[in-house]
Amino acid sequence: MSALLRRHPLLPVGLAFGAFLLFAPVFAERGTENDLWNMSFFVVLAAAWNLLGGFAGQVSLGYSAFVGIGAYTTVLLAKAGWSPWLTLPVGAALAAAFSVVVGLPTFRLRGPYFTIATIGVGEAVRVIASGLDFTGGSSGLRMPPGTFDFTANYYGMVGLALVTLVLVAWLQQHAFGLALEAIRQDIDGAEALGVNSTQVKLQAHAISSALVAVAGGLFATNFQYISPGSVFDFRLSLTIVLMPIVGGMGTLTGPVLGAMLFSYLQIKLLASPALRDSYLFIYGGLLIVVMLFEPRGIVGLLDRLRARLPRRRTQAVAEAHGAG
Amino acid sequence: MQKFVVVALNSLLAAGLYATMSYGLAVIYGVMRIINLAHAGLMMLAAYATWALNDRFALDPFLSMLVVAPAFFLLGMALYATLIRWLPRSQAGPSIQSLLLLFGVWLVLQNLAYAIWGGDTQSILTPYTMESVQLFGGRFGVPQILVFGVSILSLVGLNLVLRRTFLGKAIRAVTQNRDAAMLSGVNAGQIAAVAFGIGTAFAAMAGSMLSTLYAFTPDFGRSFLLKAFCIIVLGGMESFTGVAVGALVLAFIENFASAYTSIPVSYQDAISFTLLVVVLVAAPGGLPGLWRKLDRRVVAR
Amino acid sequence: MPAESGPILAVSAVSKRFGGLLALDSVSFEVQPKEIFSVIGPNGAGKTTLFSCLVGAVQPTSGSVRFRNEELKGLRNDEIVTRGLVRTHQIVKPFRDMTVADNIRVGVLYGRLRLRGAKARERVDEVLGRTQLTHRAQAKAGVLSIGELKRLEIARALATSPDVLCLDEVMGGLNPAEIQQAMGLVRALRDSGLTILMIEHHVHAVAGLSDRLVVLNFGKKIAEGRPAVALRDPAVVAAYLGDEPEPGAKA
Repeated sequence: MSALLRRHPLLPVGLAFGAFLLFAPVFAERGTENDLWNMSFFVVLAAAWNLLGGFAGQVSLGYSAFVGIGAYTTVLLAKAGWSPWLTLPVGAALAAAFSVVVGLPTFRLRGPYFTIATIGVGEAVRVIASGLDFTGGSSGLRMPPGTFDFTANYYGMVGLALVTLVLVAWLQQHAFGLALEAIRQDIDGAEALGVNSTQVKLQAHAISSALVAVAGGLFATNFQYISPGSVFDFRLSLTIVLMPIVGGMGTLTGPVLGAMLFSYLQIKLLASPALRDSYLFIYGGLLIVVMLFEPRGIVGLLDRLRARLPRRRTQAVAEAHGAG
Repeated sequence: MQKFVVVALNSLLAAGLYATMSYGLAVIYGVMRIINLAHAGLMMLAAYATWALNDRFALDPFLSMLVVAPAFFLLGMALYATLIRWLPRSQAGPSIQSLLLLFGVWLVLQNLAYAIWGGDTQSILTPYTMESVQLFGGRFGVPQILVFGVSILSLVGLNLVLRRTFLGKAIRAVTQNRDAAMLSGVNAGQIAAVAFGIGTAFAAMAGSMLSTLYAFTPDFGRSFLLKAFCIIVLGGMESFTGVAVGALVLAFIENFASAYTSIPVSYQDAISFTLLVVVLVAAPGGLPGLWRKLDRRVVAR
Repeated sequence: MPAESGPILAVSAVSKRFGGLLALDSVSFEVQPKEIFSVIGPNGAGKTTLFSCLVGAVQPTSGSVRFRNEELKGLRNDEIVTRGLVRTHQIVKPFRDMTVADNIRVGVLYGRLRLRGAKARERVDEVLGRTQLTHRAQAKAGVLSIGELKRLEIARALATSPDVLCLDEVMGGLNPAEIQQAMGLVRALRDSGLTILMIEHHVHAVAGLSDRLVVLNFGKKIAEGRPAVALRDPAVVAAYLGDEPEPGAKA
C-alpha cells in the first residue's frame, strides 16, 4: 500500500474525488451533475486513448469511430427492443473487432505514418456512416421512448471512468504495460527481446476502443439522439486526442487532468458564443504551446515545478499526501 | 476506345494539379523529415485569399497566384522562424511532436478562416468557369485545362530552380544527405526555411487552383491532404519525378475506377486512402522501391 | 523434444542483397551445441548483416537458417527470440528512459520462458548479478557508462533465456581489464550451457575463446575452422592486409 502511495502520490486525492462523484447526485444540482457526467465521459475517452496513444506512442486521430460504433449499436439494438444496458457489451465487442480490422494493416506503419492512416480511417468511417441506410444517414437516429434514466446513466458513466482508470493503472503495473513502454521507446528493440509488437498494439487498441464504445453507448442513451454530426463530430475526435496530450501522454494522471481542463473549457465554450467560435484557436494554440514547450503536458510542467521546489517542501507535500 | 482516351485525358489533367499539390508536402518532408499537416489549412487559406482578391478587385484567380504564391512563401518562412525551427530534430524519421505541432497550426488556420469569412460555402465564378472544349468526343472544362497548364509551368519552373541554382542544388543535397551537405558548407537551417517557404507557396498555388474547380469552406482540404500524402508515399517520399509519377498513378486509378466501376462518387476519396494503406503496407519504398525489387528479379534471371 | 544431436544452428547458402550490394553471398556453416563460434572479417564483410538474418531482423534474400532442425525463414524477430535465438547489437540501444532492471524485465517477461511473478523477479536479479549490474538496477539506462551499457546489452539478451546467444562486438570500446572480464563472462555463459556466436575485432579474444570460426570477406566465406588454422589461411591474411584475393583462389 505504501509502495503504491509512493508511486502515485495523488491516489488519495483521486479516491476522495471518486467518492465525491459517487455521492454528487444526492446533493448536487442537475446542471452540476451534467457537467460531472461530461467530465467522466471525457475521462474515459482520454484514459482509454492514452493506453495506445500515450503508453505505446501510437497516436491515432480516428477514435471517434469507436464512439460512433458504440452509440449506433446501442440505438439500433434499443430500437429492436433490447435494454440499453445489454447493448453496451455488444458495442464494446463490435468496436474491439473493428479495431483489429483497422489495426492489422495500419499497425504495420510506424509513428506519423500510422497517424496519417488513422485520419483516413476516420474519414472513411464518417463517409460510410452517412451513406448507410440503417444509420439513418445524416438525419440521425432517436432512442426509443422510456430508455432515459439520468441517474442510472450518471452512475454508469462514473463507474466506467473508475473502471477505466483502475484497469489502465493495473495494466501499467504488469507485463503488458512494460511491453507498451518498450514499444514506445524503441519498437525494434522491443521485438528483439521477444515482444510481438503487432499483437501488443492490437490488444491495446482493442481494450481502449471497447472502453470508448461503452462510453459511446452511454452517450447515446443520455442524449437520446445521435447523428454522424454528433458522434463523429470533429470537435469530439479532436478533444479525445487533445485531452491526454495536453494533460500528459503516457501518464496515469495526465488524461484525468486533461479531461478536467477540457470539460471546464467545454462549459465555458458552450456558455459564450464568442468563445465557441474560437475553440479551434484555443485547441490549436494549446497543441502548439504544448509541443513547443512541454511535450509531456501538464504533468511535465508539474514535474518541472516540483523539481524547482526545495527538497524539504517536496517531502512535506509527499507526507501530507501520505497522511491524507 | 474513345471513352478510354477521354478518361485518360481527364486523368492527365487531374495529375497536373495533384503533382503541384503534393510537391509542397514532398519538399518539406525531404529537407526536414516533417509531415506538414498544416498543408491542408494552407491550401484552404490560399483558396480564400484567391476568392477575396477576386471578390474585391475582380482579379482573375490564375493571375492572383502571382500575388498569393509569393505571399505564402513569406508566410511559410515566418512559420518556420517562429515555430518549426524550435522543434528538436529527430535523427531517424519524422516525429509525432512535429506532426502534432503542425496539426495545431492547421486548427488555428481553420479558425482564422472561420473568423474572417464565416462558415458559408464559397466558390469563384469566372467567365470561363462553365466553358469547355470538345476534344476526342469528350468535353473538358476550361478551368481544368488552365489548371493543368499552370501546374506544368510551375513544376517545370521549380525543376529548373532546383537543378540550376545554388539554392536549388543545396535543397537537393540536404534532401539526399543532410550530414554530407552540412559538411560541405550548406547552412541547413537557412535551407530548411527556404524549403518550408517553397512548400507553403506550392500549397498556396494548389489552393488557388482548387478554388477555381471546387466550392470550399474552412474545413476544406482534408481529402486533398490525404491524396497528397498518398502521392508522395507512392513516389517514394522525396524525389521530384517520384511525385509526378505518384500523381499520375493516383489520378488514373481514381478516374478509371469511377468511369469503369460502379463505385459511388461519394466513396471516391476512399480510393486514395485504400491505395495509401496498401502501398505503405505492401511497398514501403513506394513505386521506386517496387521498381527496384522487380528490376532485381529480372536481373537475377 | 528431439534428441540434441547434430548442429544446433545450420546456416546454408544464405544471401542478402541491399539494392545493388550483395552483402552476403551464399554463406554456409554449422554451429554445434555449447560451442563458442566466432564470425570475423574486415569492416563491411557482412558480419552484422549475417546476425540480422539469423534472428529475423532482416529477411535473407535466399538460403536457409535452421535452428534445432526448424527452418527460421519467414519468422519475425520476436518469434525467433521466443524460440531461443537472440542477438546483441554492436551499437547499443537500451530503452533509455527505463531503469536497468526494467530493461532486463522486458526480455524476462517476453523472451523464451515468458516468466511471471516471483520467478520473473528472481530471473531479473540473476541476470543483474551475472552481468555485474546489481548496484545499477534502479538507474535509468540513459545515464550508464560505456562499459555498463555493453553489459546491459548482454543482460537484455540473456534475460530472454536463449539457447544460442549471438554477441556483436561486445568488447569494442572496452579497456584491457574490462575485456578480460568480458571474456570470463562469455566462458561462464558457455559453461552454463549456452551456445555462443560472436563477432569480434579483438583477434586476441577470438583466438583465446573460440572453438571454431568463420572468416567473411565482401560477404563471402573465405575460411572456416579452428582459430589457429583458419587465422593463418593465406586468403584470410590477404583479406586483412587489404590484398584483393584472386577470384576463385579459395573455393
